[in-house]
Order: sequence, then structure tokens, then C-alpha cells
Amino acid sequence: MSHRDILVPDCNNCLKLTLHTHVGGKRKNRIHLQDRKITTVRKIIAVRIIWCQLIPSMIPSPILNTLKRDVVIIGGGPAGLLLLAALKTSPYLRHLLCTLIEGGSLALAKQFGVDPPKEYTNRIISLTPATASYMDLGMGCWNHLHHDRLKRYNHIIAYDDDGKIGFDMDAYMVEVINVQLALLKRLAELENGFENVWDQCKVTEIEKNGGSGSDWPIVKLSNGKSVEARLLVGCDGFNSPVRHFARIQSRGWPYDRFGVVATIKVSKPTQVAYQKFLPTGPLAILPLEGDDATIVWSLTPELSETLCAAPSEVFPHLVNAAMKLDSHELPYIYEMVKNNDNVDNVIDEIQWRLNKASVFDKYYDNTVTKVFDKSRARFPLKMSHADTYVAPRIALVGDAAHTIHPLAGQGLNLGQADVQLLVGALEKASTRGLDIGSTLALEPYVSERWPANHVMLGVCDKFHKVFGVNWGPFNAMRGFGMNTLDSLGLAKNLIVNQV
Amino acid sequence: MKSITTFLKRCISTGFRRWHSTGKLTSTSPEELAHFNALASSWWDVNGPQRILHKMNLLRMDFIYSTIREHLKLNPPDCPEEDKVYIPPYSVDLLPEPIKRQIVWEQDMRRDEILSQKKLKVLDVGCGGGILSESMARSSFVDDVMGIDLSSEVLQAAKIHQQKDPMLSENNGKLDYQLTAIEDLPKSETYDIITMFEMLEHVDYPSKVLTEGLQRLNVGGWLFLSTINRDFVSWFTTIFMGEHVLRIVPVGTHTLEKYINQQEIRDWISEDPQRLRSYEVVDTKGTVYLPAYGWKFTSNPNVGNYFMALRRVK
Repeated sequence: MSHRDILVPDCNNCLKLTLHTHVGGKRKNRIHLQDRKITTVRKIIAVRIIWCQLIPSMIPSPILNTLKRDVVIIGGGPAGLLLLAALKTSPYLRHLLCTLIEGGSLALAKQFGVDPPKEYTNRIISLTPATASYMDLGMGCWNHLHHDRLKRYNHIIAYDDDGKIGFDMDAYMVEVINVQLALLKRLAELENGFENVWDQCKVTEIEKNGGSGSDWPIVKLSNGKSVEARLLVGCDGFNSPVRHFARIQSRGWPYDRFGVVATIKVSKPTQVAYQKFLPTGPLAILPLEGDDATIVWSLTPELSETLCAAPSEVFPHLVNAAMKLDSHELPYIYEMVKNNDNVDNVIDEIQWRLNKASVFDKYYDNTVTKVFDKSRARFPLKMSHADTYVAPRIALVGDAAHTIHPLAGQGLNLGQADVQLLVGALEKASTRGLDIGSTLALEPYVSERWPANHVMLGVCDKFHKVFGVNWGPFNAMRGFGMNTLDSLGLAKNLIVNQV
Repeated sequence: MKSITTFLKRCISTGFRRWHSTGKLTSTSPEELAHFNALASSWWDVNGPQRILHKMNLLRMDFIYSTIREHLKLNPPDCPEEDKVYIPPYSVDLLPEPIKRQIVWEQDMRRDEILSQKKLKVLDVGCGGGILSESMARSSFVDDVMGIDLSSEVLQAAKIHQQKDPMLSENNGKLDYQLTAIEDLPKSETYDIITMFEMLEHVDYPSKVLTEGLQRLNVGGWLFLSTINRDFVSWFTTIFMGEHVLRIVPVGTHTLEKYINQQEIRDWISEDPQRLRSYEVVDTKGTVYLPAYGWKFTSNPNVGNYFMALRRVK
């Protein structure tokens, strides 16, 4: 039973009336008039005034369907789930009411936990030791990963036709779905963690709050609900609706390249990641458990289409050719594939060339034997960086804030660093008693994260450009540079430690 | 040159006398009131004329939070031996790194635990638009906040802004504002935290206000204040640069002769034996505003702006 006091202005004095409302069962309003000496006429006036006040509250208004949340996260990818788990883990923030909204279904990720498919899924990412340690010590979700599908490698060899550089660096290869699963499992452990992940729920509209002076944005959902957010976090990818809503500009350029990904088998298991820089862009072969591996191959839009459609018998040979042959031999082979030449012809041509030139075997000493047919996919590559990551009641995290060339495998790691810094800023804001949606609370996040991301985006962009040049003298200089750097251990470590 | 002479004159002639003067109770002059009334509308615009105050609030909250946190009693007298947190009788920095980390971690956990159970009662004197009051009301260790001010317009701004956050407007009673002077509050009402930030330099009789505040502290309660030393640096930064050159704050916000040196407050506490027994100046920190960065603590509390923490010990 709830009650509220209503002051009724009367001729000379105010009558204090207490209104009791019974919730549940029959709705019944009882009016207690505290002043017993009032006349019947006054009583009638008072009752009428009360009814006038009551009527508006009895009409169902859209406001009633609106929930209020401290944090609304849009996007259930690794960045969004990571953020929710981090918020729910933090002793300073776990009391916040949070909701995560994902348009797709997370059922696949849950299924992955019970019965993982035998073959690798094709969305595989690399995690740096910093990210791994945050997931482990900072968040406690590392143990929930399927560890038999987590590959640790410790050496990278990058090369092109003219030079080679190798460095020791620890990193992990893991499927995106594996990370999602681990985070969902972690959320299930946390109080109020799991119930507030709403999947298969699309954002239909984000609008400004018009009523009652509140400036909380309202997120309208496909399930008919609306959520008002103290802080709306966009983890909703490159085309972020949250970023568009906040009118934050994102600047950058398309690379006119597509990334082709595929899961493959190689002839012998390895702990080494290889990356060859071709004039079209880098081709990386990253090891997975056993003799499995994954590739990321940056190609022109036309070539990417051709290679995605190439027969699955040919594709492994094409990868071998690209890894081992001199890059000026490749256009001829691409042309054969494009013209739908006989499969055996193409394979014979590649084999003949490989037998002839074994010079690059010293760099890539493995052989790709098979491609999992359904694993091939392509996506456009671009560099973009939002002008800022915050606006009043808005924060952007991960791809919504920046997209990066995949050549250094930094995508998710930047997203993780964003999450870590955002959570740090919110923790600080909470001990300062700030409204976590105000720019005062969010500014430290952008001021620390933006310059660091900008440097990383720039470095990867320059790598792409430097290796995209195909002109004899420049190639020779670049090769010389790589070989020189390779022999200078100290300088090399200095660079690696930056990552 | 003329302004420097005026500065010196003001510095010497009026400050001390005013500090010791008795007479009418605490109040602020009509000019001061009119000035703050005019500021009401832009008070909550964090990018507006009060941005510097919003930025200062971050440091205020850091000061309050860390002071209270550091002075918690980690092992209460009735605490059983096995539950006690180890507090080495010397600096933890002397211990090996892993041991030090373990000790500090245990202490931090205990501090969090004690702090989370606290339900402190706060009085924010000169709350203005409620920047500090709202922050205090959102803090987990605070149960009740009363903000008082003499300007009805800024209080109106505070109340309107309070309604915007359901955390403050729906938790009935956690945050209240009242148009009153501190001396008009009943003496029986006592508080765990009383704050007087950027306020003593705006009243006519600061020692009176301070006395009124100290009298309303619970034993173990804190009085946090901030004001400005009456020196050349303060005049140069807060009046000359702040108001006239950079126009960070509106002209007329400050009056030099109303500034108070931190040593004057310390002397005032120790000049009365009764006061000296009951109250203790626990900490004073100098603060400075760096454009494009914000506020920062300095190592010298005797120059420019400063924060001070006083505690009722008995």
C-alpha cells in the first residue's frame, strides 16, 4: 500500500489529505480527511480536487512503459559484453542498473559452450598479453574460455620479397564466439549480470528526451519497450547508431581493400605467425591449435571476390603461392583463377613455379593443405576515428569509436583498452559522486584513450601505405630497412614493447 | 601599478580586522547576493561560466573522500584479534614489495567495507547550485544531505537540477535544500560532515560562520573548507587573471580583502583553549588551477587557493 499527501487549497487554510492506494487486487482509493471539523461542502470540494489529480495518473501513458537504467550498452559483441562484465565486477559500479541490448541472437554463443562445432568459426581475433591479463585478473573470465580452442603463439615473422623481420611476441588466437561465451558465463556468475542481457532485441530509434527536463536519451526497442539511459554506451560497430545519434563525426578513409578470412589446415603445427606483405596488402597466417590455422588476406575488391569464389581445391595452393612466390608472379595466377581456368591447370602452374623458386621457403616453411569451405568470407577494410568518444550521456567504445587495418591484429585489443579506461573513469566518477553520464565523468576516458588509439591507427595505416608501394628502388630500401632492424635486437624490442 | 598599490593596501588594512570583528551575525552583503542570483541560470552548464567550479568539485570530492578514507579506524576496540587488519608500526614502504602490496590491499578492503556501512549526515553551507551537494548525495557513504544558501535563485537552480536525476529526486529526503543562514539552523541538529567550499571569502564574518559550523559537528565529524590565501599570487590568479584577463569567472566574483590565510584559521583554532581541545586541523592542501588541465593539489598550502580539513576530536 502506498500513500501520498495532497495539499488541497481551501478558503483559508490547507487541508492535508492522505490518499491511500492499494496496489494489487482491486484498485481502491480511500481518502482520509485529517481535519475532522471540515464541513460537507469542503469535503466535496476536496474529493473533487483529489479526483482531478488522480485522473491523469490513471490514464496509461507511454512513460509507464519506459524503464530507467544507469547504463545502457548497445551491442553484444566482445566489447559490449566485456564492458558489462567489467561494470558488474567493479566494487564501485556493480550497484548500477545496466542493460545490454543485442540485435542478433546470443544463442549460438551459449550453444558453443555446450557443444562447440568441430571446425573453427571464421571470426578469429588476436589477444595481446595485456588483454589476456585484464580478462584474467581484472575480470575473472579467462578460465571460462574453451582453452582447447585458444592458441598461444610466441613469434612473428613478417617479410616481403626483399626483406624479413622476426620478433618474439606473445599473443593468443581465439574465436570471437569463444570470448563471448566466456563473458556470458562470467555474467551468469555475477549478481544481476545475466538477466540484463537482452538479445534478439533491435534498437528501432534513439531519441532525445523531451519531457520533464530530463536529458536522458530514450532507446526504443523492437520488443515495444523503451529504456531511458543515464549513460548510453555505443559498442555497436562501425556504423554505430549511437554515434550518429550523438552527431559525432567519424573521419578516415576506405582502403579500397577487402579482408578475406578463412580457416585452413597446414602440413605441420607451429607456434609462429607469418605475415607477408604483398603489393595488394598483407597476407597473414596465424596458428590455431594443432594443424589448424586462420588467414587474413587483404586484397583489392575485385580480387577478393575472385578468391572467395575460387574452387576450394585451388584456394590452399593460392595461399601457398602468395606466401612463397615472388609477388610479381601472382597477377598471372590470379588471372588464371579469374578466367575459370581448369582446376588442375592452375594447380600445376602453381606447383611448377613453387618447385622452380624455393628461395622464399626460408621464410614460410609450412604448406597450406586444405581450406574449410564455408569459412571463407570477406569484409571491407577502412580506417576511421571518431572526433571524440563522449558527449553528454554518450560514450563510444571499440569499433564504434575507431576501425583499424587488421594487419597488426589490434582491433579487439583497442576495444579492451577502451573498456578498461572507461570503467576506470566511471569508478573515479563514482567515488567523486558525479553523475556518470556527465561529460565531467567521461572526459578522462577520451583524453587518455583518444591519443593512444590515434597513434596505433596511424602506425597501422603507415604500415599499410609503406608496404603498398611497389617500385623497385623503394622496395629495395624497405627490404634493407627490415633486414637492418631485424638484426638490431634492442631497437626491435623497443618497438614490440609498444604494442 | 595602481592596482598593486590597492592590492597592498587591501592586504594590510582590512583582512585581519575583519577576521576578528564581532557584531552582526553571518550574512553576505546585498551585492554578493545579487551577483550569485545572476549566475543561477548558467550554474549547471559544465561548459559555461561555472566550468572552473565544476572542475574544482572533482578535487573537492577527492579531498573529502581520501581524507575520510585515510582516517577510518580500521580496527575498532571491540574487534576480535583474528579479524584485525595488520597495521605495521612503521612505514609500509620499508617492507618488500609483495608484502607491502598484500598489507595495503587488506587495508583497502577493510576501508571499503567500513565506508560502505557508513551513513553520514552532511550539511553543505553555501551550496549554491548544488554542485557539491549532489555529489555528496550520490556518494555511497552518505545518507542525508542538506544544502543551505542565502540566494533563492541559485537554490531554485539547485532544486530544478535535482529533479533531473531520479537517483536524487526519487530517493525522498536524501537531498534537501533550504534558504537559510547557518546560525538559523537549530543547534540540536548535528552533522558528520559540514562543508564550506569557496564560501568563507564571500561572507562578512567568516569566524562566526566557522564557529557556527564547528558547533554543529558530531564528535569525529569533519568540517571541510576551502578559501583563498590573501597574497599576491591569489590576487594575480583569481582576480587579475581569472576575472579581468582570461575572464574565466565573471568580474566581481572575488574581493581580495575577504580572503583568509590558512595560518589565520590555524591560529584562530589554537588561540582559544576550548577550541584547541575540541578541534584539530587535520590537513591543508594548496590547490592551483591550470588552464586546459583543471585543478591540481600543490605542495604549499600558504599560497593561493587551499582546502582544509578540520575534525572534532572531543
